[in-house]
Amino acid sequence: MTERVEPGEVLAVSGPSGCGKSTLFRVLTGVLPSLVPADVQGEVRVNGDRVGDVGLASVLARVGLVQQDPEAQICTLSVREEVAFGPENLCLSTEEVDRRVEEALARTGISHLASRGTLSLSGGEKQRLAIASVLALRPGALLLDEPTAHLDPPGAAEILSLLACLRKEDGLTLGIAEHRLAPLLPLRPRLLLLDAGRVVARRSPLRRGDLVALGLRDAWSIRRSPLSRQRRPALVLNQVSFGYGEDRLLSGLSLSLFPGEVLGVLGKNGSGKTTLLRLIAGLERPRGGEVVRGAKGRLGFLFQFPHQQIFERTVRREVEIEGRLDDETLRARLAAARLTGFEERPPYSLSLGEERRLALSTALARAPDVLLLDEPFVGQDRENAEWVIDQVLALRARGGVTIIVSHDVPLLAALCDRLLYLGGASDFGEPGEVLAHLEEEGETAFLPSFWDGEEG
Amino acid sequence: MPERLLHRASPATNLLLLGAFLSVALGSESLLVRAGALLLVPSLALLSGEGPRNLVRRGRFLLLFALVLILSQALFVRDGRTLFSFWPRFTTGGLEAGAGMALRFLLIVSSSLLFVLVTDADRLGAWIARLRVPYRHGAVVVLALRFLPLFRHELRAVRDAQRVRGIEASLRTPRGLLRAARYTFLPVLVAGLSRADALAISMVGRGFGLHPRRTRRPCPPLGWSDAAGVILSLLLVAATVVSRQARWP
Repeated sequence: MTERVEPGEVLAVSGPSGCGKSTLFRVLTGVLPSLVPADVQGEVRVNGDRVGDVGLASVLARVGLVQQDPEAQICTLSVREEVAFGPENLCLSTEEVDRRVEEALARTGISHLASRGTLSLSGGEKQRLAIASVLALRPGALLLDEPTAHLDPPGAAEILSLLACLRKEDGLTLGIAEHRLAPLLPLRPRLLLLDAGRVVARRSPLRRGDLVALGLRDAWSIRRSPLSRQRRPALVLNQVSFGYGEDRLLSGLSLSLFPGEVLGVLGKNGSGKTTLLRLIAGLERPRGGEVVRGAKGRLGFLFQFPHQQIFERTVRREVEIEGRLDDETLRARLAAARLTGFEERPPYSLSLGEERRLALSTALARAPDVLLLDEPFVGQDRENAEWVIDQVLALRARGGVTIIVSHDVPLLAALCDRLLYLGGASDFGEPGEVLAHLEEEGETAFLPSFWDGEEG
Repeated sequence: MPERLLHRASPATNLLLLGAFLSVALGSESLLVRAGALLLVPSLALLSGEGPRNLVRRGRFLLLFALVLILSQALFVRDGRTLFSFWPRFTTGGLEAGAGMALRFLLIVSSSLLFVLVTDADRLGAWIARLRVPYRHGAVVVLALRFLPLFRHELRAVRDAQRVRGIEASLRTPRGLLRAARYTFLPVLVAGLSRADALAISMVGRGFGLHPRRTRRPCPPLGWSDAAGVILSLLLVAATVVSRQARWP
């Protein structure tokens, strides 16, 4: 590919999982091949200098890279130290380091967190810290790899507004890799759509009509057959309370789910969504109340990070953990997970989407009556998301209950029979009712319409 | 919350104190001195502002393991006077050996935990830099402390995943035990390596390794917490020496 990015421009890079978005950013910053060996042909120039000639650190001081998982890139224990890390590595005077730290904290709106420990920050705060620690090097451009993937809707809205502000006030050049493009429309980005490492479409500036034309619109139309009326609930939470230490996460939560129902769980980071799944799975014991699963109560659980539940050396062995399978069954199971031909591959060499399909297929192999999915759509392209949706609908048709924790509000609103909002005042009901209540409460970032974005 | 006692002390003081506790654990043969030093550890943690519930949570597994040590020695060491003649036969020598081993274990692990709890890793890094230890090596210590809680979190998630898939049930046989160990080690290792990758990019991206040193910040002046720490360390070392010389029980 050959591209030229002008100062102050916003470049949106999108495409299916594994298309090369993160790789492109790593090549642009020289991380590939300087830090991670790779076969890179052609050249990248930053401010006219060839990346290979000026040294990695010098390039990264001009083009800051914020990776997808903010947690993994924090290397100190306090916010101030983290932001100072870069300037101190440049051996600047202590006065200059302090000046840059204050400036970066103020620009990202986290001055009030300066003395906090990094371990106690929320997801949104960690993302802001990751951006601040790169801004302290005063780069002219910032590349962000799915900056809102791990954030709740209000946190994501904050980061997008911060990026708009950095571009407007500081004239920063931005490169943003994202699956959901509609929220970027106010930034008037130029779109590079990748597939299998090639640019397959360009739009400048990106408009809402382009999203529809390119099939990138973040809207879902899911047909659900009506559920047969059942008298006995498959899952009951009765006055469930839980907390860690002195903090109370869930307080007197009650709900009943009937066979076939799909429940979507929304809420801010740290509101207890994952904890709720852990309580239902029996991994935590409630402090008060009870969780009652149906008579059979077989459970399938897809963790947010699928590598935590993959244990074997090959895909075949992983699928056979619960017992040996004949070749035909094994092939059928892998084909259902779109993993045909992967039998002897190490699971850890799979892409995130493939890992998630493998983990979900092993969870489904237990024929669960209750399926728990923790953020199954993070970092997923539409094709992978549709595969997950198909599995949920198949379980729904068999009468299994599915509970999905996700920040993808438009998708949850389209897929789920009921929504549960966990927050100051928890709300449980039909999607329309819950979203209407959220609108009344002023939680606009949780409304599907918020994610349609407005053109800038 | 304001910092108290050892949280306020210099990392050098805390390291000196850790050395003094280790000298008691390894140098003194007196059970009384070891037990006294062991009592000091939770007292210092409490005085430094650590919550009692946190200490109990961290300490209960150590105590359980110490009990196993005592029992294993009591069962197999037959020296000294017999306390119970029926099976299992416990002797004073067995109980002394068990208590000595358990106290040594508890003192080493708990004082190391205390050091990790009360020492600010970033301050420790700055202090290591003052000792002219190469910046890269000093940074390793800080990173290790930073990543300990993350690995704990990762380990818990992997164990939960094993429970959900029913792998835990196979712990009853030696083969199952080995398999469970492998199933724990592999995902945690993969998580560590993937984090290391992102961390390396993040660090190099912010100039790590560009210069052999970094901006050096003045260390805060020593205070009364440091004075108390030094005096306590000297007392512990003195107790070790005297107990050896005088052959205290």
